[in-house]
Amino acid sequence: MSDNAATRAIDESAFQGRSGTQRGFGGWFIDTGWRHLVAFAALLFALFPVYWVVMGAFDSSGSLATQDLVPQDVSLDNFRALLTDDGHPPFWTWFWNSMKVCFVTSTGTVLLCASAAYAFSRMRFRGRRSGLMGILFIQMFPNSVAVVAIFLILQRIGDVFPALGLGQLSSLVLVYLGGAIGIQTWLIKGFYDSIPHELDESAKVDGATPFQIFYKVILPLAVPILVVVFLLQFIVTINELILAEALLRGNESNQTLALGLSAYVNAGFDSRWGPFAAGSLIAAVPVLVIFYFAQRYIVSGLTAGAVKG
Amino acid sequence: MADIVFDQIDKIYDNGFQAITDLNLEIRDGEFMVMVGPSGCGKSTALRMVAGLEDITEGELRIGDERVNEKPPRDRDIAMVFQSYALYPHLSVFDNIAFGLKLRKMPKPEIREKVEYAARILDLTEHLGRRPKVLSGGQRQRVAMGRAIVREPQAFLMDEPLSNLDAKLRGQMRAEISAIQANLGVTTMYVTHDQIEAMTMGDRVAVIDRGLLQQVATPRELYLDPDNVFVAGFMGSPPMNMAEVTVEHDGDALAVQLDNGRIAVGPALLDRRPALRDYVGKRVIMGIRPEDVKECAEHTEIPADRRLSVRIDLVEALGSGIEVHFAFPAPRPDQRTGRELSEEVSVVGELIGEQPGANAWVGTFGPRSFVRNAETVDIALDTDQAYFFDLDSGLAIRH
Repeated sequence: MSDNAATRAIDESAFQGRSGTQRGFGGWFIDTGWRHLVAFAALLFALFPVYWVVMGAFDSSGSLATQDLVPQDVSLDNFRALLTDDGHPPFWTWFWNSMKVCFVTSTGTVLLCASAAYAFSRMRFRGRRSGLMGILFIQMFPNSVAVVAIFLILQRIGDVFPALGLGQLSSLVLVYLGGAIGIQTWLIKGFYDSIPHELDESAKVDGATPFQIFYKVILPLAVPILVVVFLLQFIVTINELILAEALLRGNESNQTLALGLSAYVNAGFDSRWGPFAAGSLIAAVPVLVIFYFAQRYIVSGLTAGAVKG
Repeated sequence: MADIVFDQIDKIYDNGFQAITDLNLEIRDGEFMVMVGPSGCGKSTALRMVAGLEDITEGELRIGDERVNEKPPRDRDIAMVFQSYALYPHLSVFDNIAFGLKLRKMPKPEIREKVEYAARILDLTEHLGRRPKVLSGGQRQRVAMGRAIVREPQAFLMDEPLSNLDAKLRGQMRAEISAIQANLGVTTMYVTHDQIEAMTMGDRVAVIDRGLLQQVATPRELYLDPDNVFVAGFMGSPPMNMAEVTVEHDGDALAVQLDNGRIAVGPALLDRRPALRDYVGKRVIMGIRPEDVKECAEHTEIPADRRLSVRIDLVEALGSGIEVHFAFPAPRPDQRTGRELSEEVSVVGELIGEQPGANAWVGTFGPRSFVRNAETVDIALDTDQAYFFDLDSGLAIRH
């Protein structure tokens, strides 16, 4: 049966291929060519902003209004304006702050969500279903909706523990962590669910405690999804502006990249576009580096999460 | 090493399903005990209770005279081989085998020594550095065995360890596992639905159906002297032929009345099972193994009062013999006989367009028989080797 079906499929495709060549370009375009066109349009749509920022960074005219599609005058002037010239902004402080916030938030997210997902996937306890549904519902309200409440909470906490009050990076990390748990826990749980239970049972009989099963069997197998969660969280965090603006506004020395750059470009109206583009370009480097080292996990992690999560 | 004792064990799942009812079974020290039964009969549940992976609802489970009901799996000192092998995909073969030893904080040189020893036994030495996913099914199975062996546990538990292998490899691994177990002398509980595995591997075999233990005995005893109609029908391939018949006097001896004609009961059987005389005038289930259905042309020694003329529906030549299928002139028993669980019976029934209600029988003739499809031949039933069961209780009529 299946052999016949396969042969028929091959015959049909061979037939189509022949008729395509006979019908010439028009036939080819109707069969397959239009897909190339759509793909090309999508690529253009996705890549143009990137191209514009890269060109902006190296275009010495330095403003949005005067930037050309192909810059007339390529130089590193914008980078100098941002990093070394007199009156340059504290870019490296922003960068360093962002790195701290992103790494701590992403690592924390992975640790928290990996453990929470293990409980939800492998243990049977009262409130398990409602707990899972609960974090999903809470996740549906964006953090920015709660920004006033968060602001007030941190204000009060700051009265008692200044290190966790307004204007502190550590408190920003805590807020980010709280916001991340929902969807990432679901993503990781979906991946765990696809790991056969026999492996747990086998480890159990071999003498492992629940914690040993977690870090010796489940965690190593879940590395792809953990890498993906780390990366997604890193990108979300480095781009986050609304909460950072609300919570860090008062403290000049604790600005993040997104916050600092947006304030910098807003203050200069049009004239600081070039240095801003240069800053964005530098900010993209850490993400690219992580992507480079993690890419072998990313595809398997994303697809596994997509199917089961 | 230790014995394993099920003492009045019940298992009722949370949804109310009773998987095991009042199981009493002793697996002796060093014994290879096979649990066999149709799927869903509760045999895996019993095994998982020994492993500690299922709670015990009622009764006591003892390993080496010690109650283990409440003990977590890691404290029971048992090793388990899973149907799916459950190898850790992220670890090399060496680390898979060493996993349990590392958890027990055994010194590294000792671990290496034990793993290498197990690898030698199992012919895995050259694969120690590889990951499970590049191994063949048989090799994976051996890694799972190795993981159990190095632990030197009190007991091995095996849950259908061969059912993912192809037929040839299964035969080979059957022999290997038996040999390894005999060498190590570790108490072993082996669960399977395959009665050939049960017959060839077990020191003793426990037959389970619908959560109830049917019989525990050596393979030979199970085959030659089944306790009840289920065990009789379940063990054996092709399965035992059965029919509902009436016992009658035949002079001094007995005979059974069929729909048309009668068959004399062998005198040797009557000597062994005098209780059959109490059933005169009653309906009973008669069972005859396919090898005791003979071709008259080849077996002239069988008396004429045990002969029957039948039309052959299907002939299957197996080389070593010929299986003939025919309709027997007496009704099929209504009881759950274990026969209907054999795939072979229903498939052949469909194949030969069996009438609903017709009682399809199988006989194995010698390889030189000339019987052909749709031919009418005289067959002889060796009723000295027949089995009789009480119609109501399904128990064997023995004394």
